Amino acid sequence: MRRVATALLLIAVLSVAGARAQEAPKFTVNPVMARGPADAPVTIVEFSDYQ
Amino acid sequence: MLGRIIAEYPGKVRLVFKDFPLASHEGALPAAEAARCAGDLGRFWEYHDLLFVAQPSFARADLVGYASRLGLPVDRFTTCLDGGQHRQAVRADLAEGRAAGVRGTPTFFVNGERMVGARPFEAFRAAIEQALNGTAPREPKNP
Repeated sequence: MRRVATALLLIAVLSVAGARAQEAPKFTVNPVMARGPADAPVTIVEFSDYQ
Repeated sequence: MLGRIIAEYPGKVRLVFKDFPLASHEGALPAAEAARCAGDLGRFWEYHDLLFVAQPSFARADLVGYASRLGLPVDRFTTCLDGGQHRQAVRADLAEGRAAGVRGTPTFFVNGERMVGARPFEAFRAAIEQALNGTAPREPKNP
């Protein structure tokens, strides 16, 4: 019983982690259009036009 | 705004600009291409800032004029612009944004967390603090 509960908990944790990994979009970066260090802990990606 | 973020979080924040020229904004696509042409000549951010001040004057002559104002070699700039050298790259950004759910501008992603629309600095600060520490800053209390 305990094994089943542990397995279910593990599946739930992995599912949540997987979903989060899928949610975070990955973007290509043109270094010419980026400011700040590439290894900065926070990256702000802005999608914009000029008008 | 974004310059203030860099200044307040030196070394901790990277800003990445992606083109998302809306179809309803006639001059947005050539402006995006022009900024990239300026980038080829080492002045992307200066040209980018100039465009935001100059909008919506984005006729070809305007775009070339901004390059001239920055001291860029106009012949090289116009070759790039007229040749549409960055059109595909701009469209690739557009496609990338759409795939990520971007529908309007500006749209920001702070470590992947989406923020839609123009926001005050405090909103960015809260998102950055959340990303750095897992907590949003407390609101300052009035004395």
